[in-house]
Amino acid sequence: MTTRISRPLPQRQVPGDRAGLGEWLLSTDHKRIGLMTMTVSLVLLYFNGSLALTIRAQLAQPGQSILSPQMYNQFFTEHGSGMIFTVITPISVALGVYLIPLMVGAPRIAAPRITLLGFWFIAFGALCLIWGFLTPGGADAGWWSYLPLSNSIYSGGPGEDLWIAGVFLSTAGTLMQGWTVLWTILRLRAPGMTLMHIPVFAWTQIANCLLVIAAFPAQLAAMAILALARVDPQAFHSNFWVFGYQQLFWFYGHPVVYVMFFPFVGCAAECLQVFSGVRWFGYSATAIALLVFSTGSMAVWGHHLFASGQQVNDYFSLTSIGLLVPAGIEYFGFLATMVQGRHRYTTAMLFAITFFLQFLIGGLTGILVASPAIDYHLNNSYFILGHFHYTIFAGSFFGFMAGFYFWFPKATGFYLSEAIGKVHFVLMVIGTNVTFIPFFILGYIGMPRQIASYPAGAGFTTLNLISSIGAGFLGLAFLVFAYNVYISLRRKAPAAANAWGGFTLEWATSSPPPRFNFNLQYPIPKITSFAPLLDLWERQRDRAKAASLGDGRTLGEGGEGEAAALGEQLPPPDGPAAHPPGRGGEHPPGVGQEQSPRTPPRQE
Amino acid sequence: MPFRGAFSVLFQQNTIIAEVVFGLVLAMTAVAVAMSWHRKRHGTEPSRKEKSFRMELSYIGGLLGVACFLIVSSFVQNARDFPDAPDPAMQVQVTAYQWCWQFSYPGTRVIAGGQCEGGKLPTLVLPTGRTIRFDVTSRDVVHGFWIPYLKFKIYAYPGHVNTFDATFYHPGRHIGRCAVYCGLLHYEMDFNVQLLPPAQFDRWLRARGGSPAALRRAV
Repeated sequence: MTTRISRPLPQRQVPGDRAGLGEWLLSTDHKRIGLMTMTVSLVLLYFNGSLALTIRAQLAQPGQSILSPQMYNQFFTEHGSGMIFTVITPISVALGVYLIPLMVGAPRIAAPRITLLGFWFIAFGALCLIWGFLTPGGADAGWWSYLPLSNSIYSGGPGEDLWIAGVFLSTAGTLMQGWTVLWTILRLRAPGMTLMHIPVFAWTQIANCLLVIAAFPAQLAAMAILALARVDPQAFHSNFWVFGYQQLFWFYGHPVVYVMFFPFVGCAAECLQVFSGVRWFGYSATAIALLVFSTGSMAVWGHHLFASGQQVNDYFSLTSIGLLVPAGIEYFGFLATMVQGRHRYTTAMLFAITFFLQFLIGGLTGILVASPAIDYHLNNSYFILGHFHYTIFAGSFFGFMAGFYFWFPKATGFYLSEAIGKVHFVLMVIGTNVTFIPFFILGYIGMPRQIASYPAGAGFTTLNLISSIGAGFLGLAFLVFAYNVYISLRRKAPAAANAWGGFTLEWATSSPPPRFNFNLQYPIPKITSFAPLLDLWERQRDRAKAASLGDGRTLGEGGEGEAAALGEQLPPPDGPAAHPPGRGGEHPPGVGQEQSPRTPPRQE
Repeated sequence: MPFRGAFSVLFQQNTIIAEVVFGLVLAMTAVAVAMSWHRKRHGTEPSRKEKSFRMELSYIGGLLGVACFLIVSSFVQNARDFPDAPDPAMQVQVTAYQWCWQFSYPGTRVIAGGQCEGGKLPTLVLPTGRTIRFDVTSRDVVHGFWIPYLKFKIYAYPGHVNTFDATFYHPGRHIGRCAVYCGLLHYEMDFNVQLLPPAQFDRWLRARGGSPAALRRAV
């Protein structure tokens, strides 16, 4: 019954192997490239996050001078550019680099060397950005770098040059990785893995990579214009180029927002299904909605320029508001999946649920400002800051955290501590909402974004103070998160192949997976739907019922080879989440091999 | 033109819709948690239903309806803000530069400026009850002309003049701000808007050697 890979693949036990740094940096293994990209991005997340904390300290009280205005402008420029170009965007594609070949049953990613080159581009791009920040006269033209502010007349000094180089490199790197992820989904799927059998996460990656491919070249062109304007500022001083650059930049700048969104929908969706014990509700509707969503989001960039006075606003209002339809379909899937299921409230599940709820605040405020009559007031105010921090941070980043807790056992072979994870989660929720809710009110009462200070009489003081206190909670949350990763890698609570009772192919192979993902010991199971492991489990349970055995243990012996062959790949009875890993050496149960001490709920 | 009015109509209406949607999603999440708890308690299996074509279609229909409603009201209010044939009674020229503002009144030689640094803000004096045409431009980089009280802003581009018409109804003093990041002292680039009753505005203009009639003719 089992689909096996036709040729035996060389097997290498990753858990024991101690590859040198060089072996990692030159690896063509998609898992290593994905992990390296994410590690670089996570380190930069802490760097750019600490800039944000300094910014919040500066704004906690009116008229402070913790940072000089020039320093402040450099800080928010690096915070915004760093987070977007070198943290969330690379992570969104790197998740695909790591997971997609596993999920579609491929032994490798398409064009692994280009994927590796992409990593190098991102890493060097990040280096240039930071270099441009640390250099005297650092980049301080904001993450848009509108002309003519960013040309050599108004921003002398090498900072902006390095900024342009950094953005160009990291964008090009993500573009390369986007191509290879998409190509892997389209061309390297295992036999039986039809397009309508790929996981929901893979659909979000298709939508994501299509956007990367369509929108990122515009940013490369925009950076080329900026670079030329550093050489000959007069040539790009006319309104044609000033406004043209804005259009070109946002033609990339809006789709990139969805690049920073789709894969995290995928993360949250995978967690929700598994921890609800059900399939994603309305799979085909969600797949179609994602494609419509990514097509539609190519046509909304102009809503960033409603106040520019130089474009047809109604068109962009129509397209922007129209996006609520595909977004609404995703929320339908979220709610219907939740309603159908029996939940396990692991840290990953909590982050996934919160992703949908908090992102909704970002989404709904986004629909508010999609009307020009509203945006004329709120554009470039703290309201917008609140809106996009709710989408990117309160939304996407929570989705990433869900995925991180979910796939960490797969990537490392060890669980993260659930107890510390829940502390991390609570701190994140408090910190996020206390920090960003005041932004909406501040923007409404007239606080512009990107201001280094504000006068005492402006009425901004109390709300800014509350927001800065919230940022303190966020700082704490990130320390707890770092501690959790550190302590869990030391405690080494081992994870089974199917660590959580997952449904998709990556859970059918070992944790961490072997070099070529599947082998004779961990073959690709029969792919019957987008949740092949759940199908397997349900088939067995049904046979058990028919035979009135009522005991999952004897199932593999009923003449069907698949269960026996798959061994520990089966979804576990109630998931090892019931065992907080790392406590007193207690290990999660060897999934599926033996009946767990608890009665499996699905078998009652 | 009625920027304040259009904003509040639309903002109130859409905020209520957004709150209802958020409330519904929260409520459904709570229902899901309760149902899951119930299943655990009674040992029921999770449902295996994975799609419902009819439910999805009617839901999409509902979404389309909401989207159409929001789009139409967005169009209607935007059309109110920019009417086809506005009839301005006077004109002001707003010039932004790093890092302050200059306001001039065409037809007269009156110019209002100031230094934004250190709080000596320039003041834009305007009459109530008259439709005013604003010509907004910049001398150097892109700025944003924002009067939070008016609930309106428009960017100021170098080499391009943006135009809008607005009417104020109540005398008062309000703050205006730069809304597009423009470099070092962006944060200090504020200005005052002083709204005077028409007669008082004319007196103010004459006191500075300007003629209200010339101001009207210059439109």
